[in-house]
This record gives sequence, C-alpha cells and structure tokens, in this order.
Amino acid sequence: MNKRLWQPARRTLVLATFSALTVSGCALQSQAPSLRLSESALDIRAMQTRTFTARSEAEILAATIAALQDMEYNIDQIEAPLGVITASKVADADSTNEKVGRILLDLLCGCGMSQRASDRHAITITTVVLPSLSGNGDFVTRITIQQVTFSKQSQALSRGTIDDPRAYQSIFDKLAKALYIEVNNNA
Amino acid sequence: MRKVNLLAGYVCAAVLGGCAATPFDVAGTAAPLELRSVQTRAYEHLDKTLTMRAVIATLQDFGFTIDQADTALGIVTGTRAHSHDMRMTVTVVQKTADEVSVRASARVGQKSITEAATYQDFFAALDKGIFLVRNNVN
Repeated sequence: MNKRLWQPARRTLVLATFSALTVSGCALQSQAPSLRLSESALDIRAMQTRTFTARSEAEILAATIAALQDMEYNIDQIEAPLGVITASKVADADSTNEKVGRILLDLLCGCGMSQRASDRHAITITTVVLPSLSGNGDFVTRITIQQVTFSKQSQALSRGTIDDPRAYQSIFDKLAKALYIEVNNNA
Repeated sequence: MRKVNLLAGYVCAAVLGGCAATPFDVAGTAAPLELRSVQTRAYEHLDKTLTMRAVIATLQDFGFTIDQADTALGIVTGTRAHSHDMRMTVTVVQKTADEVSVRASARVGQKSITEAATYQDFFAALDKGIFLVRNNVN
C-alpha cells in the first residue's frame, strides 16, 4: 500500500473515532440528571398546593382517598404519619383525531405511523396531606402527577411530570367535594 | 469438519457459560465509603419527622411521585418520569436527640448516580426545604 495515500486516510479515521468518542462522551454527560430547582419552583409548589379546613387529619385523609377513588385511581401506598398517599391508574389515550390522521399518513407514505398512535396513559399521583405548619388547624394538601404514554406496541412514547394548572385545579375541586361529603356524612 | 463443529461448540459453551456466570453489577461498582460521604449530610436542631416532611416536599419540588414512605424506618423512595426515569431513595436517621443524618441515593435508567455535584444540588434544595419547614412555611 502507498504510505502517502494511507496516512491521510488513517488520520481521518483517527479523527473520526476521536470525534465519535467525544460526541458520545457529551451525550453521556448530558444524561447526567439535573437536580437544580428552577426559578419557578415556588410557583409550581403553589400551583400544586391547597389549604383545606377539616376537623381531623383522619377526616381529610379519608376524603382524599375517596376523591382518588372517585377519579378511578387505585391506592398503591399510604403512610398516614407522613400524610403520603400514592395512587395510579391506566387510562385510555385513544384519540379518534390522532388515529384518523395517522391512518391517512400511512395511506400516503406507508410509514407505519398508525403503529405509533397513543394507546394508554399510565398516571401516578402523590398527595401529601399534613397539618399546616402555621398551626391554625388547617390542612395543607400538595399533589404531584406523572404520566407515561404508551403506544399500542407498549412502547413508551412520552413520560414526564404534568404541569398543567387545570389538571391540579380539577383534582382540588374533586377533593373539596369529597371533603364536603365526608364532613356531612359524619356530622 | 468435525474439528470445526467441536470448536464452534467450545465457543458457544464459553459465551453462554460466561453469560450465566457473570454476576452483572449485582454489587455495584462505586467505592462505598466515598459514595456514602457524598450522599450523606447531617442536620442539627431537627427531628426525624420534620426532616422527612422536608425531604418529601423537596422530592415533590423536583417532580417526583412517592413510591414508598415509612416513618418508622425513615425511608422515602420516589420516581421521576423522564426520558430516563430517575429513582431516588432517601433515608433519615435520628443520630442524637438534636441531630439527624440524611442519605440520598439515585439511579437514572440503568446507571447509578455517583457524581458529587448531583447530590450537592439535591442537598442545596433540601436545605431550602428545611429552611421553609423551620420557618413554618408549608
């Protein structure tokens, strides 16, 4: 082999390998998780938190469990001394509009888009109900919700924390109603 | 031909045997004492319950949902759904009447988090959570 011809080719190969390693190193680095609070952390906390008035911690815990059952969740974990309740459900994610759009795309390009249609959401919710630290007898409820969307092939299409204020508001509305029922049933 | 088959058989046996015998990452790879020191922090003038309350609030600040919480054992485990799920276990131990020790350990997908910076960030957030709890802010 001609040494002069080989040398630039080898240099290119070495550079390409080095670049690939560097880039993959960057990719791994960027996967390092961030545990820094965003500037909006306190606003998000406020969105996820409501204060309720109840006669006892047992009453508001019972109302919270009833509200979760009303919303068709199953209870996975309860730790009463810490006020922690975690519940989950799998909900249908089939959207007719999405399905029709993907089938049309399939007809046009035959690229199997309908296989990637959302099929179901796995939703996990944690509520923490504790006596208010201000000591006025109220109870503070904080909620965090996560969602994983799966395709029909059970492939996770998206996963993340739900940060839509409307989702939290609708849950707090249901909780307020459940608390009203709990108070009046035990009056 | 028979020689080739025999050789192929040896290679297969070695590969399969190797797979079965390798206890893949069952005992972890990090240096235990170093890892412990970056994962642990002591707090004075705090009790276990109040610290656990701050730990849960901090995990919620990061968007975790709580998989498991046990007051008696001082354990909280949470998961954060992301492109790679993060799972974190925090243990709170009452060292003396006036001091608690908090240890956090995390994994992202199939990797354990050993970077000190990640735990420093977590404890920086927990410091804020503890400050809020100490000042009676929910």
